Amino acid sequence: MAVSSHELIAGFADPVQASQQVFRAALKVMSEPGTRVEVDYVEQAPKGLDLSTWQLALSLLDPDTRVWLSPTLASSDAVISNLRFHCQCPLVEFPKDADFAIALNTELPQLAELNWGSAEYPDRSTTLVVQVPALSAEPFWTLSGPGIEHTRSLRIAGLPDAFRAELIKSRQRFPLGIDTFWCCDNRLTALPRTTKIEPRTTAIEPLNTEQEAC
Amino acid sequence: MSTATGYNFAYLDEQSKRMIRRAILKGVAIPGYQVPFGGREMPLPHGWGTGGMQVTASVIGETDKLKVIDQGADDTTNAVSIRRFFAHTAGVETTEQTADATLIQTRHRIPERPLQADQILIYQVPIPEPLRFIEPRESETRKMHALSEYGAMQVKLYEDVARFGHIATSYDYPVMVNNRYMMDPSPIPKFDNPKMSMMPALQLFGAGFEKRIYAVPPFTQVESLDFDDHPFEVQSWDEACAICGSDHSFLDEVITDDNGSKMFVCSDTDYCRERVEQGFVGTAADLPIADLSIAEVETN
Ligand SMILES: [Zn+2]
Repeated sequence: MAVSSHELIAGFADPVQASQQVFRAALKVMSEPGTRVEVDYVEQAPKGLDLSTWQLALSLLDPDTRVWLSPTLASSDAVISNLRFHCQCPLVEFPKDADFAIALNTELPQLAELNWGSAEYPDRSTTLVVQVPALSAEPFWTLSGPGIEHTRSLRIAGLPDAFRAELIKSRQRFPLGIDTFWCCDNRLTALPRTTKIEPRTTAIEPLNTEQEAC
Repeated sequence: MSTATGYNFAYLDEQSKRMIRRAILKGVAIPGYQVPFGGREMPLPHGWGTGGMQVTASVIGETDKLKVIDQGADDTTNAVSIRRFFAHTAGVETTEQTADATLIQTRHRIPERPLQADQILIYQVPIPEPLRFIEPRESETRKMHALSEYGAMQVKLYEDVARFGHIATSYDYPVMVNNRYMMDPSPIPKFDNPKMSMMPALQLFGAGFEKRIYAVPPFTQVESLDFDDHPFEVQSWDEACAICGSDHSFLDEVITDDNGSKMFVCSDTDYCRERVEQGFVGTAADLPIADLSIAEVETN
């Protein structure tokens, strides 16, 4: 797909400084899993991407990173054109080939479809970036592990139960695993493969989160 | 503050920074595991530690305050030059005070003052692979890490015990991170090893020659290897710091005059200064600190 010039929007006003600041935000949430930060270095994102997703892309993606997009994003002219123009990242058809997979919460690939890295090179795994309808510190999940002094609470709204179960179970394969960023509007959090997730309640969480802000 | 024109911010090109940033994120996600990274060489004077410089250049931003220490001191030639380099190429503020710094680049020490959340400690690493002296082939050490095959290191340490009656290794003392990966803590004295565990600050390690990055996230367990009958012990001194009287810091032996007179002083110059300001005194309290910085320093 070619770049549609009428879909192009501005990237960072100051790419060097904004890339560094967004990276530091990403570093903060990856090293202190479940903490939530805001990133505000762009006015708008391509239609379909959250502000935080777009800023992560501008900061971390380039011609060296293969990117997989979930179906709605992959069929969006605005998303494709801006990623191609600003990041020049190659897009791949299968999640297994991706360094970064960007997905809507309703279009998540199965974790098994991603690249988990190898025993010798566990770093060569896909980083999964998911756009979700809400992120909060409500005690739905109790997190523990590196980067967390005791425990930390996190609620990520809008995830299918099967995916939640798969994510929790994936910890058994450490050091192989999938590191995740969670994006909602201008907010960002992360769960690296080391974070243990304890569901505090077995009650099924409502998927309807329209009234909630993230 | 503005940066000097004609340079990339913090000297490194943006593509290399992105590559290093992605490697840092993976390093944080797999604590203690060595992430290989690509990118261009950073042509720098010998002794600056390219790995540490590349990590600092990729992490640093305009609002950071940088501290650089070399063997605990802020005023060695290398520490001063590195601070000036980033003040010049990134326009950042620099400081000698541990408490004020957001980023601390270090060679061979961890500050005595406990580090806080949101500080980042960046180590210059000469040899990142703790198993290298046992197994020179990278493909083999990768396998050993993959399988957690760390018996050879235990054997090496036990040879110390057999020969000397105790574990003689006092620098570069291997650790286990998050109960999974064996890691080289860089040539810090083993005195500093316990500070690495459950530290509220993020610890990043950069090895320039071998192009490896590794990390210890905040509040992560770091355990020094030992044996049930020979538990890990840190260095200790019978003396206290001659300047500030500290009986709990890592001490350097300093020659004070041409006759070979000696005394012991804190290796962490900022910590010592802070204690003197707080009113602590040692046996050589009348001696100005400035005189000591030019004295010959022997590390034991
Ligand atoms: Zn002292």
